[in-house]
Amino acid sequence: MDFEPRYTAEQQAFRREVKSWLADNLPDGLEFPADSEDLSYGGYLQLRELGRRLGSKGWLWPTAPAEYGGGGLSIDHAIVIEEELDGFDLSLPPYYDSGGRLGGASVLVWGSQDQKDHFLPPIFRGEVRTWQLLTEPGAGSDLAGVQMSAVRDGDDYVLNGQKIYVGSSHGAEMLWTIARTDPNGARHHNLSWFMLPTDSEGITIQPMDLLITSGEGGAGTGTKNTIFFDDVRVPAFNLIGGENSGWQVATTHLELEHGSGGAIRRNRMVDRLFECAAQLRRGDEPLSADPEIQDLMVDVFVEAEISRLFGLRNYWMRHTGQKMAHEGPQHSLYRKQSGLRAAETMLEALGPYALTNDPRWDLSDGHMEVFQRSSIVAMHPGGTAEIQKVIMARRLAIGRQTREQAGRLE
Amino acid sequence: MDLSLTEEQRLLRSAARDFMEREAAKEALLEFEQSAFGCSDEAWQTAADIGWLGMLVPEEYGGSGSSLTDAAVVYEQLGAGPLSGPFFSSGVLGALTVYEAGSDEQRSHWLPRIAGGREIVALALTEPSYGWEPERVRMRAQPTDSGYVISGTKLFVHDATAATTLICAVRCRDSEGVTLMMVDARAAGVTARPLTGFMGWVGEVTFEDVEVPADAVLGEVGDGWRPLQAAFQKAAPILCAYKVGGAQSVFDVTLEYSRSRIQFGTPIGRFQRVQDHIVEMVNHLDAARWTTYEALWKLDAGRSDPTSVHLAKAVASEGYYQACNHSHEVHAGIGVAREYGLTLHTRMSRTLYHCLGDPRFHRRRIAQTLGF
Ligand SMILES: Cc1cc2nc3c(=O)[nH]c(=O)nc-3n(C[C@H](O)[C@H](O)[C@H](O)COP(=O)(O)OP(=O)(O)OC[C@H]3O[C@@H](n4cnc5c(N)ncnc54)[C@H](O)[C@@H]3O)c2cc1C
Repeated sequence: MDFEPRYTAEQQAFRREVKSWLADNLPDGLEFPADSEDLSYGGYLQLRELGRRLGSKGWLWPTAPAEYGGGGLSIDHAIVIEEELDGFDLSLPPYYDSGGRLGGASVLVWGSQDQKDHFLPPIFRGEVRTWQLLTEPGAGSDLAGVQMSAVRDGDDYVLNGQKIYVGSSHGAEMLWTIARTDPNGARHHNLSWFMLPTDSEGITIQPMDLLITSGEGGAGTGTKNTIFFDDVRVPAFNLIGGENSGWQVATTHLELEHGSGGAIRRNRMVDRLFECAAQLRRGDEPLSADPEIQDLMVDVFVEAEISRLFGLRNYWMRHTGQKMAHEGPQHSLYRKQSGLRAAETMLEALGPYALTNDPRWDLSDGHMEVFQRSSIVAMHPGGTAEIQKVIMARRLAIGRQTREQAGRLE
Repeated sequence: MDLSLTEEQRLLRSAARDFMEREAAKEALLEFEQSAFGCSDEAWQTAADIGWLGMLVPEEYGGSGSSLTDAAVVYEQLGAGPLSGPFFSSGVLGALTVYEAGSDEQRSHWLPRIAGGREIVALALTEPSYGWEPERVRMRAQPTDSGYVISGTKLFVHDATAATTLICAVRCRDSEGVTLMMVDARAAGVTARPLTGFMGWVGEVTFEDVEVPADAVLGEVGDGWRPLQAAFQKAAPILCAYKVGGAQSVFDVTLEYSRSRIQFGTPIGRFQRVQDHIVEMVNHLDAARWTTYEALWKLDAGRSDPTSVHLAKAVASEGYYQACNHSHEVHAGIGVAREYGLTLHTRMSRTLYHCLGDPRFHRRRIAQTLGF
């Protein structure tokens, strides 16, 4: 076993290249608001520009195939890029984009050659960003129960319905969604999966007022939206994976969203807790000198380490093409639950300081206060804790003879 | 033994429910959440007219001299909203502190005004070195010819910006103990500022060379902590009742949602994982309710027992907090949409989590009262 990436001379040279490229190409004055809803439009455009520049080098989606605009690089190269960006508090992609992380993977697995050639390069080069439109008011956990209808009409499908809790602030160029193409078909055999441009006629986007949104495995999204579809025409070419096979296509990105993508990012909230506890004084001593507070900090640390290792393991399994079973939802579940516990522990340790983003008394540029809210909200996106448990049970074959297979990733 | 409410208490409860329906329906509460005061002038004045700001004020000082349990029955319903506004700060904690610490003259001056809602009193105790122990009170008062000059910062003061008068805890040079002073919130040098974040109606108050007359000292110089503790003992279970009301309301909404929300062709309440959350909620709720009402009963029956007050405060704060978390898990997406109303409680459960001491503080107190 070796938990540390080992770098060859070639990779060390690559690191130098990445370093100097970043020094030349990182825009000045990037915004890092604790609450992604505070990212200005200008700040967002800067990040998009950075994405395009990274994309043109193949570094935005380093392990995606080069023939479709990705980097075609090894996992170790990808780690080098992630590590170097991490030094600037950035990660890949530097803004919320479901296209490269999830949707692109589904097109890669299920799209025709023409569809891959058409849809993937703009995604992997960072020319477009893409939202995922799955959830409906009546269909959250029960995603297969979506009601949005898609009816074939000539060379198009016509979509009608409503999606909810989707997208981000500042718009997107592309969307993907699933809709019902066979109103009478059997469950899981009645849906189809579409890519479509956001400026299609008949789409109305309404921002929602939520407690906060959360990272969803990367940069924060800012505002979530309700989106209405009124007779939206989508070319039949945009249907990926065949009519009524949409559920199959979805299993690929659901697998990734349920944690199988893994993560190698640092958990900054732990460092922030330590810093806050060292800054605060109770009487003449720093809070962090109190053994009771130390116990609380260690509770958070231990769970964050376990979560980090689950993420690391999954990242390694994903990028070395290994078959996964319960590992994806295990990471997702643990991240959610330990996050909620950590927020409570931080509230106990730091007192009301954990709740305020007042400029004078806030100890972490707003991150503690944001975390108090986001740890609640993070329980829901990408499948609730209960749903992660349901999937784990099937994958482990608890009380049954055969294990459920994971969604196809290649 | 009889654990039911009296006939009179049931009437109080239904009056409080009617009041909440009229003055504090969900749409109103969502507006109040954005307001600096915490509720409408109308809701405040109506509550004062009914007498809810004077329940703990003896009749001779213009109140109704009700039992703590009576007051708790009303505050439980306010918590069910949750109705924000300085009801507890002024009508309970403020009134009790003035009563416990004040001279007869001070009681006669302040209590009728508090009961009538004309004066709004808030306790300015905690400081940047946060905590509810007497050692945390470090702000100094310098004696002058006519009284004192105070300077310093009080932090995380509940209802600081709504208050017309602040009960400020300080230390005078000539004495080691804590001294309480009634400070006019509009006096020169006093600045109250709300703190933003996942909390509400909690502020910072700065005092810059504020002149306080000698007769503003509540009770005796250096002897403020003892009556303040007496006031805490009575006020804490009423704050607990407010949280019980919150937890009850969150539980009710969640139970109803589990019956009506359909996924996979069945009400989500049929899923055992969802049931687990609701079972946990009702355990927290009932634990908070019975620890709270036993503590109230002991106080009303003259069997004062600090352990039971600390128990109630630890259990109710924790219970309200956890009830909200479980409710969010049952609701998933819709629960975090502000217009749904659940986040009013989530925010309130955080706002009040540390007020009068957080659960760990009260657990430590239990260790002491049990004589470990
Ligand atoms: C911040 C945020 C961002 C989001 N981003 C997106 C996005 O970009 N795109 C998108 O399409 N969607 C998005 N969502 C929606 C998210 O995927 C759903 O909220 C989630 O899947 C849960 O669905 P629901 O809210 O309808 O809850 P429901 O499915 O109604 O769940 C209610 C309760 O029932 C439980 N439950 C349901 N079924 C079962 C079962 N079989 N067994 C046990 N318990 C069960 C749930 O666990 C939960 O406790 C987002 C949501 C949030 C809050």
